[in-house]
Amino acid sequence: MSILINKDTHVIVVGMTGREGANHTKAMREFGTKVVAGVTPGKGGQTHEGLPIYNSVGEAVSNHQVDASIIFVPPAGAADAVLESAHAGVPLVILITEGVPTVDMMKAVQEVKALDHASREEGGKGVRLIGGNCPGLISSGECKIGIMPNSIYAQKGRIGLISRSGTLTYEAGKLLQLAGLGTSTTVGIGGDPVIGTTFADVLPLFEADPDTDAIVVIGEIGGADEEAAAEYIKHNMKKPVVAFISGRSAPAGKRMGHAGAIIMGNVGTPESKLAAFKDANVPVADTMPEIIELVKKVLNK
Amino acid sequence: MKLHEYQGKEILRQFGVNVQDGKVAYTPDEVRTIAREYGQPVVVKAQVHVGGRGKAGGVKFSPTIDKAFENAEKILGMDIKGLTVNKVLVTKAVDIDAGVEYYVGMIVDRNVQSFTLMASAEGGVEIEEVAAATPEKIIHHRVDPVTGLRPYEAREVAIKAGFKGNLNKIADMMVKMSKAALERDAVLVEINPLFIDADGTPLALDTKFEIDDNAMYRHQDLLSWRETEAEHPLEIEAAKYGFAYVKLDNGNVGVLGNGAGIVMTSLDVVNRAGAKPANFLDIGGGAKAEIVYNAVKLVSKDSDVKAIFINIFGGITRADEVAKGVIQALNEGILTKPVRMRIAGTAETEAKALLAEVNSPLIQMYPDMFQAAEAAAADANKADSNTAGDKK
Repeated sequence: MSILINKDTHVIVVGMTGREGANHTKAMREFGTKVVAGVTPGKGGQTHEGLPIYNSVGEAVSNHQVDASIIFVPPAGAADAVLESAHAGVPLVILITEGVPTVDMMKAVQEVKALDHASREEGGKGVRLIGGNCPGLISSGECKIGIMPNSIYAQKGRIGLISRSGTLTYEAGKLLQLAGLGTSTTVGIGGDPVIGTTFADVLPLFEADPDTDAIVVIGEIGGADEEAAAEYIKHNMKKPVVAFISGRSAPAGKRMGHAGAIIMGNVGTPESKLAAFKDANVPVADTMPEIIELVKKVLNK
Repeated sequence: MKLHEYQGKEILRQFGVNVQDGKVAYTPDEVRTIAREYGQPVVVKAQVHVGGRGKAGGVKFSPTIDKAFENAEKILGMDIKGLTVNKVLVTKAVDIDAGVEYYVGMIVDRNVQSFTLMASAEGGVEIEEVAAATPEKIIHHRVDPVTGLRPYEAREVAIKAGFKGNLNKIADMMVKMSKAALERDAVLVEINPLFIDADGTPLALDTKFEIDDNAMYRHQDLLSWRETEAEHPLEIEAAKYGFAYVKLDNGNVGVLGNGAGIVMTSLDVVNRAGAKPANFLDIGGGAKAEIVYNAVKLVSKDSDVKAIFINIFGGITRADEVAKGVIQALNEGILTKPVRMRIAGTAETEAKALLAEVNSPLIQMYPDMFQAAEAAAADANKADSNTAGDKK
């Protein structure tokens, strides 16, 4: 088992004929992901790596089973691509693109949530957006819809991983693998200020997943997503959670690469995040390797 | 992109917000001419991209034309937090006692996945101070990004915040500010103080306006407002290479890595190792040797940097490309400071082989990020204590 995706998930790649789209389509297929088609407006009818290319997501959906789409569209068209997938009825949309204007994301996220609500009201599957500016998600040994290095996620483990940072996701994945623990599903939620899915949205899925024993949350300075996650854990989670917060020594007011990693006034400080996790009984690792020690500790309880 | 007060006011004026009259001047003589034209007390305000201008003496009330000239002489050329003032905004002075000062602002708010409108009857002071001391005095309201702020919502917020004055005019002003924020892709807009005169009419006395860098492509008309002299010279060079780079104060270890998260963590690790990071540099994903070479070159130019810590977890980025870039910098004589690296992931073995071949004490690889950071911290601190010794 896994959350959100598994070996039977059928995926389309929006922007498959671009450089990034092409490279990662190849890597996803090598991992074992069932990529069924690509979408590039104006290139419909062509084939790429033996896969059909369509002019629109709608065309791809009417010709194939599509459970998820991954988007490699440049920033100016990225939010539009999200809405195209969502309106075509794709239940899981993953936006990899970095540098999408925040106002575009605000509008897209709001519309996707409305579509999700409407779909569920009618008994449908709903729509979930993950990202943007994220590495995607990967269920070890089963399916990757993202850009992570394949090698770390070959073996299935029993730890769920949620992270705002791409590289730290790999780092944690590698450490968990070396420790013989491994990951069940890894979800990179993205480093932008406005994203489709937050920690608190993913936590209940892991709580309900019989193949996940503990969850690692990798947060960073800025925003209050970690605080919201802690609040959720405190009231709803039975499974143990371990946290890590990146950028604890970053100065206030400076943007540290991620547009969301900025301390504004007294919001998003490491102190408020640490306090929230403490209040929820979530141990916080001081360093990445300490995550492993803490995971082992909570599993032995 | 941060805008100056006069630029932010210009945008708000375009959206119909009632903004205090003012003109920009570059010399005391120009200030005198503007003051004469206004024929009333004026305020001379430094235009620099830092907060706390008032406290630094960069904002001066000028009751006479001569005083305006005098104040301009003091403010122009002044240094505020490392930036030189080369222009001032001259505005008509307002009799603050004849009205009230409020705060309104809009900010991108991760927690509501949209803008939050903030309003407070505590105007004229730093809103962060109000937020810290009396958070209940700030009213928060999520703005729908599709419809924007509606007049009835603005009125409700104004009432909750305890605003006195012409409610319809104040609400209309807030709606226009919201429109400006959404259409101009603001990250932050503040009107502080928002002055309400004896008739109850709102007037924007000061503004902060920052635009989302990711959206600059659709605000080409504002590109001429970008001032590179307000940025650190190395930040300008970094922007040319497309790096996310931040110069940090009082640091001695140059820090670079692939990805914002790993670089942030690298800063933390350098701090733990007892040194101070001198910068944040993200080379991005999939960097080739040339990019790494440029990154090393850039960080080496910073005289604060005494040692360089490179932290790479290769996914799309290949470790051997990173090694090649560092070696190129060494061969060209650019690299004169020790580089302590931790490179894991894709092509790690090839990278190790390349570095073994070069066999330079300046470049060393370590099995984990802590050892590499500790080595860089030790080198940097040693270099610093040596220079401190030379000065004695």
